[in-house]
Amino acid sequence: MWQRETFKKIKQIPREEHVLPGTSLCAGCGGLESLRLAAKVLGDDVVYVNAAGCFTMLATYPFTPFKGSWLYTTMASAPAGAQGVRDALDVLIAKGRLPRNENLKVVVLGGDGSTYDMALSSTSGAIYRGLDFYYFCYDNEAYGNTGMQLSAATPYGARTSTSPCSLQHPSASMQDKKDIFEIWRAHKPPYIATVAPRYPLDLEEKFARAVKFTGPKLFLALSACPTGWLYDPGETPEVAKLAVETGLWPLKEAINGAVIHTYIPKRKPVEDYLRLQGRFRHLFEPTRQDEAIRHIQERVDTYWKLVSG
Amino acid sequence: MIAVRFHGRGGQGAKTASRILGTAAFLEGFVAQDSPIYGAERRGAPVAAYTRIAREPIRERGLIVHPDLVVVADASLIPDPAARVLEGIDERTVVFINSQMTSEQVHAQSFLPGRLTTLDLTDIALQQFGKRGAISALLGAVAGRFVGLRQESIREAIAQELADLGLSASVIEQNQDVALQCYDAVSTVSVVAGAPQPVGPAKLQTPIYEPPSRGTARISAAANSVLRETGGWRTFRPVLLPDKCNGCWLCFGYCPDGVISMSKDDKPVIDYDHCKGCQICVHECPTDALVAEREKEGGVAWTAR
Repeated sequence: MWQRETFKKIKQIPREEHVLPGTSLCAGCGGLESLRLAAKVLGDDVVYVNAAGCFTMLATYPFTPFKGSWLYTTMASAPAGAQGVRDALDVLIAKGRLPRNENLKVVVLGGDGSTYDMALSSTSGAIYRGLDFYYFCYDNEAYGNTGMQLSAATPYGARTSTSPCSLQHPSASMQDKKDIFEIWRAHKPPYIATVAPRYPLDLEEKFARAVKFTGPKLFLALSACPTGWLYDPGETPEVAKLAVETGLWPLKEAINGAVIHTYIPKRKPVEDYLRLQGRFRHLFEPTRQDEAIRHIQERVDTYWKLVSG
Repeated sequence: MIAVRFHGRGGQGAKTASRILGTAAFLEGFVAQDSPIYGAERRGAPVAAYTRIAREPIRERGLIVHPDLVVVADASLIPDPAARVLEGIDERTVVFINSQMTSEQVHAQSFLPGRLTTLDLTDIALQQFGKRGAISALLGAVAGRFVGLRQESIREAIAQELADLGLSASVIEQNQDVALQCYDAVSTVSVVAGAPQPVGPAKLQTPIYEPPSRGTARISAAANSVLRETGGWRTFRPVLLPDKCNGCWLCFGYCPDGVISMSKDDKPVIDYDHCKGCQICVHECPTDALVAEREKEGGVAWTAR
């Protein structure tokens, strides 16, 4: 049984903010919520290496929400940028040009378009080289910043602007979500975890645990997205909660490859989650698509059957 | 030619309103052109959309700098320099503002030239739909009334454009009904086409090359995003009923923008300069100590800083 060691009560969430307000990210952004909580553990001694994506909007010239540094890269090259920053820090410290106590954490921020698709190659390279960095993926299951186009993270049955519901493809998107967790795990980094903004203590605990590992530390944050998933911004925690409670978004970590589920949901029917969101409305209206809903449920059932052995 | 410019915030429906207006005009036999412009696809960010309507083929392209009608979906955009709502408005321009204020009140508080008219579309949408949402059909219908389009063509245009967005038949029908209600309710000022603007030859400007050390944007300040106040995005503000609050910290934990801090006695303090009004705190409060109140417009929203 997995237990939290550092973060046991909600009042242990640090009061100090490290991602300040005034960004132009959407109201109710689940990705920003996850990052804000993560930054409470990461602190200010950080260089964020930000791949183009929704988080481009964190620091729009001439404003930044960070007290630390932020470097902007193209969608595919944030891990390569992180390598450069890490190397520069290491060299400066080794030569005595930067005091050891001014060392910084290097944190990549990438969306799912970047993480699952475009930056997969540079991420693979960085993990292979054992780069000491954090990778924070805010996964809103589509290319959000350009108007919700299908990405490899888009789940089966979701309507995006490039996977509309049509007579040929009534379920809208036809592919299942790529299992990036397992792709990362196959690279054998010391620490990988999934997090969701509705479970702040689970999230904080995982970032606190990751500190002690040197090497690639990867976080996959469910970023419920009112703009793209088409629900009211106030429902972001509710949507994130149902993603976890239905079993669609397992909360887990893998330390040196050993997977532990950090929360075992009772598993509500996936329909409860799907119904909340406009991107799945075509599965229920004008006619109910039982086949598609069953497919989504079966995938979840199969996953958890393997977990419980 | 009549040139119409829509201003809204991402998610309010300015772009679709422009499409509805263009389609309705097209259905009546006009030549129509519509195009939106926005930075990132983001709720709350300023969006503009342009519709040109004419009897003869339209040669003009691009942004509308001298509009005949300006439709403003969100009054808080007016003082925002990035939104450029005031651009090219003169005495003859008709300006419609979705606002709780009357046009006299707006006139008294602002430096807006042009012939103003207002109607509280947000309130009508809330009453009729029972929840927050886009008001594209309402904006489109109001604009259609100003430029003299017929009810039937607007009804049909709404059906076409909203069906394209994947909305269900019942939602579309509801939108049509409420939109035509607004069509009737708005007090109109007739839109007059302005004199054609002389078009000069465009000058080509060659950008100069700067090395990355100079040519790359650099911000040498820490956490200065607080200078940019996002409080104007709200339609509703969360308000604390202190007696009901049990000091559980959940609102603080879930606020994406970190605008809620906890006081010494564990009560939330909300930073209204930056709260975007997502209502997560209101949804998640276990004791209903946070309630949503419709944002009131006041003089403050009108003074340019």
